[in-house]
Parts: sequence; structure tokens; C-alpha cells
Amino acid sequence: MTRFFAFAALALASLAATPVLAHDPADAVATNPPDAPYQKVNTLVPLPEFLPGIGELFVDPATLPAGPFVAYNHDGKLVSTIYMIPLSRMNADTSFDDLAAPGGNVDHVDIYFNAGHPGVEEPHEHIVLWHVPVAGEASVAE
Amino acid sequence: MERRNFLWWGGGMAAVFSLSPRLAIGGSVVEIAMQGRPDGSKVWFDPYGVLIQPGQTVRWTNKDKGNAHTATAYALENYDHPRRMPEGAKPFDSDYLLPDESFEVTLDVPGLYDYFCLPHELSGMVGRIVVAAPEQTGFADYPDGDLNAEIIAGFPAVTDILARGSLQKDE
Repeated sequence: MTRFFAFAALALASLAATPVLAHDPADAVATNPPDAPYQKVNTLVPLPEFLPGIGELFVDPATLPAGPFVAYNHDGKLVSTIYMIPLSRMNADTSFDDLAAPGGNVDHVDIYFNAGHPGVEEPHEHIVLWHVPVAGEASVAE
Repeated sequence: MERRNFLWWGGGMAAVFSLSPRLAIGGSVVEIAMQGRPDGSKVWFDPYGVLIQPGQTVRWTNKDKGNAHTATAYALENYDHPRRMPEGAKPFDSDYLLPDESFEVTLDVPGLYDYFCLPHELSGMVGRIVVAAPEQTGFADYPDGDLNAEIIAGFPAVTDILARGSLQKDE
């Protein structure tokens, strides 16, 4: 628990200081691997390299836990941008403003509950901005 | 008195159940799977309550393809959690298990062992093992005040474990 709050405090402080990327964000994240400062999530926390239903996940550690995370399919194509918002922070005293949206056009959005995982170790919501049609979700199903 | 001294074997304020184990799994390693829905919306130990005999081995295996899990005993040594294991028993911690990885521990001291999954404790991913010789009695539940209500609700009742031997959750 202590680890999470330290993690979250760092992330919130970093969110306030995160500059807008200097170059075209869509180009920076269009293919796997994305440009720095994105890092592969499974090198930051113990998680599988490829997450069924999500894909291969990258994040700028300074933006944790909210993200954005960017996810790629097996062909290295960007399929989604994901935000992870702890339920405990969905209250009157917390807001997540001006989160980056590096993935470009959004086809549709999924919002669903997640029980937690290394990196965001408490119940939270996944807010998934899909950059591919619904049928394209199959490319990260397994 | 050390805190742990009144948590086990009918001491202090704990309620005591005079039930004897009806079913004890003999011999082989007892398997517990770490499970999760594909979207990560629910995670659990399967079974989440088991009855074993002293000296028997428990093996946890991560069967959740999209997540990492731990089997971590409730003990001060493990992230400063309250102790929920018998006096004299050594705390265990699997560390993170990726899919298909396993961890096993042999439990020799009779009593009640509560454990949790580090990244999923707040979602109620906890489990309980009762270690008891056949016909052994005097098992006590731990007092509720040391953990929040959501976590407490995740544990199976000692009486149910003693009666049924192995308990599973609905997915």
C-alpha cells in the first residue's frame, strides 16, 4: 500500500510538470517501440510482455499510474491509448487534467473495472481509447 | 503479551470452534491456482480455502495469463501486515509470479494461515489454509479488527474449511 501511494505521489507530481511533447505525438508512438520517454511496462513492473486483450504496453513512468499507456498488437501497430484511474482517486478532491492523448484518432472507447496489477495496485478503471475498429481488437486478444 | 500470542489456539478474545476436521487431503501436494478474468476485473485463489495435514506442501501456480500474483503470508515481515499465522510458523512470500510460474511451501505448524496477493489484496484476493492433524480440534478465527472489512470478507470461514476441506469461489 505504501508503495502505491509513493508511486501515485510521484506520478501526480510528474503530471503537473509533464511538458507537451515537442514533436508530432502520433509519429512518436505510431509503431512499437514508441520514442522515449516511453518504456515497456514489463521492464518497469512484473507483468507479462503481452497482455491478452490489451497488447504490448508502454508508458512514460513519470505519468504513472494514470498514463497514458500505449498498446501495440503483434505486428507492432498502435491499437489503443489507455488511462488507469484508481477508484480511490475518483472523488471531489482529485482530477486528472490535460492527460496526453498521443495516439491520434479514436475509433471507440471502452471503460471497464480492473482489480489491480503491479504498477497500479488497487482497484481502478481502464479507459481505453481504441485507434482501430472494434474488429481490430482481435489483434490483441491473445 | 505479544500480539500473536493470543491469536491462535483458543487464546485471548478469539472465538473457539470445537470442530474436528472431517476431511484432510492426504499425501500429495495441494494445488492452488491464481486465477483472473481475461479483462482483469476479478481475481481470486482457487481454491481459496483448504485443509491440509502438518508437513504437507502447498503449491500456488499463476494461471492468469494477463496478470502477476503473489502468495504472501500475513505477517509483519511481509510489508508490515498483521500476523495471521500460527506462533512458530515461518512467514512465506512467493514474490511476483508471472503466468505459469509456481511457488510452494511446506507447512508444518498446525493452525490457521491467512495469505494475500500483494497487488490484489484490496480487491479481496486472499486465502486461508488450515493445517490440522486428523481429529484435531480447537481452531480459532482471528479477530476482525486488524484488516479492513473488504479484506476480511474475502476469507472463508474456518468452520466451512473444516467441514468441506476445500472451498472455491464463483468466477
